[in-house]
Amino acid sequence: MNGVQQALIGGIEGGTAILLPALGELVGQRAGVVNLGTEGCMLAGALAAFAVAAVTGDTWLGVGAGLLAGAACGLFHAWLVVRRRADQLASGLVVWFAALGITSVFGTGYIGRTATPLATLSVPWLSHLPAVGPILFRHDALVYAGYVLVGAVWFVLFRTRVGLVLRAVGERPAVVAAAGGHPQLVQMTAVIVGAGIAGVGGAQLSVGYVGNWFNDMTNGYGFVAVAVVLFACWRPAGVLAGSYLFGVALAAASVLQAHGVAVNQYLLDALPYAITLVALVVVARRGGAKAPEALTAALTNGAA
Amino acid sequence: MPARLRRFDGWRRLCAALLVYLGALALFSVVVALKGGNPFSVWSTMVRSTVLAGPTLQETLLRAVPIALAALAVAVPARAGLVNVGGEGQLIVGAVAATGAGVAIGASVPGPVSWLVMAVAGAGAGAAWAGLAGLLRTALGANEAVTTLLLNFVANDIMLYLIYQLWKDPKGSGQPESRPLVHAAQLPRLWGSQLNIAVLVTVAVAAAMWWLLRHTGWGFALRVVGGNPEAARRSGLPVRRLLLSSMLVGGALAGLGGMLNFAGLELRLRPDITLSFGYIAFLASWLGRHQPVKVVGAALLFSAIALSGNGLQLTDGLDGSIVDVLLALIVAAPLVLTKRRRGAFL
Repeated sequence: MNGVQQALIGGIEGGTAILLPALGELVGQRAGVVNLGTEGCMLAGALAAFAVAAVTGDTWLGVGAGLLAGAACGLFHAWLVVRRRADQLASGLVVWFAALGITSVFGTGYIGRTATPLATLSVPWLSHLPAVGPILFRHDALVYAGYVLVGAVWFVLFRTRVGLVLRAVGERPAVVAAAGGHPQLVQMTAVIVGAGIAGVGGAQLSVGYVGNWFNDMTNGYGFVAVAVVLFACWRPAGVLAGSYLFGVALAAASVLQAHGVAVNQYLLDALPYAITLVALVVVARRGGAKAPEALTAALTNGAA
Repeated sequence: MPARLRRFDGWRRLCAALLVYLGALALFSVVVALKGGNPFSVWSTMVRSTVLAGPTLQETLLRAVPIALAALAVAVPARAGLVNVGGEGQLIVGAVAATGAGVAIGASVPGPVSWLVMAVAGAGAGAAWAGLAGLLRTALGANEAVTTLLLNFVANDIMLYLIYQLWKDPKGSGQPESRPLVHAAQLPRLWGSQLNIAVLVTVAVAAAMWWLLRHTGWGFALRVVGGNPEAARRSGLPVRRLLLSSMLVGGALAGLGGMLNFAGLELRLRPDITLSFGYIAFLASWLGRHQPVKVVGAALLFSAIALSGNGLQLTDGLDGSIVDVLLALIVAAPLVLTKRRRGAFL
């Protein structure tokens, strides 16, 4: 196995920990709510998943707990932002800080413990394809869930009535209200569902990719997920590309190191964030016009 | 609305505010109890370990320096409607630049010269780091909240690189840290106490920012841009330049905060030198509604809370990170109340 292949395999696996929260964030942002607390939702999901998996021995029960923990954080954010009309960015950071504190306090007992990681499932036939087989089809089930979810989110957002209403709320909530809809209900639901998916993303990190728990283990991935949605111009396919780009950059850093490339580890660590930043800036110019209108108001305060 | 009713409404709001803040504190007590701590005695521990004893009160004041300056770095761009979540990164580059300058020249020039050079280097680095995000926003339309956030991680990794490799102290104890700042270059202490001149600088800077934002054309223009950018543009204000200037000033403040924290208190560059102060500062600026005087007050409060983690760890056997929960709850309180009233601590 050569280095490129290793980087791609690791990129798909690590990228999933961005892809899931970014898809959740996409749902929320399409409804006009940005959630910087995605970072906190991931942390909560990662710890809940690991703790439940370690205690019960059932990894899938853990993933379910991660989903619920993420959704609970989302409920807090949604309530503040939608019901109390709090500032979205400040509320997001509050959710993150709360989750950071709670997970480090309640997670101390789980540091150094082991949980049964998610099993690697090789897809029959497909995993034997030359080149792409091992890269795409020999992973744990949450990686495949990521593949499916990209299509599912696209389908729901752009091919169903629910998606149409959700996108309408993201553009002009007042119009939806006038048409007899419930924009607040739609936003709350979108944020909570998105946060739940982010929680599963955290679970992928703790019981899938990394395989243990340590404080602040998400290391900014939740913030990267928010950046990826902007980079993607609010399109599921773009989210897929952006997430795996970050994942590959992340994996490339460790592969380079393993191959004895004499570059400082910390400079390599900065690479994925720098690449995300550059990618975001490159597309920012054409992306701005495609932003959901209600979201633009929340994100930019209308300034040029 | 008749005056009598309005007064009644004011009382109702005050009661609601009190209830929400008490609720936040009660929630924290619940978390403490869940973790096996005493939900009542934690409060006395926190007060005793931060403000009641001389040495700890001094440390609270010293730690408030980077928090207050990084919070002002949030407040100034916020006046123009920009969201600077990059206080952490700007504190870091400020400390890094100050370390570079201080370690290089500290031994060979008189103290005041190295203080000045370090301050300029720190403020300049902070301004450049925030200005980069400002430029990306004004020239290319990249969202500054997200770019400043990402830049925090880049800054932290650059600092770690320097500490672990380029600047590693060859005579150090094996700990990853830079060489120490020589005594002559350290900020002067005040009245023989632990406090140093950084505290006074912070007060002066905060007062200057209050004056700049309140009583100058620049401050007024920033408020116009923040209030209604379209109106600002139509009335001929240089909106982009104003936005960029607010980021540059903000970044310089945070960079200065990083330098003061390094040259007055830390004296060596080490990992976690910022202790998430940049993010705490963001919350402090929110609690203070981006008004300099209140922001500094909020920074003091948060410095005490952040520091009280040590006391809780020693006295009550709780994990120090538990105070992050309290910080979040205290900022959540005004967010809960926003629908009714937009005021400072209410």
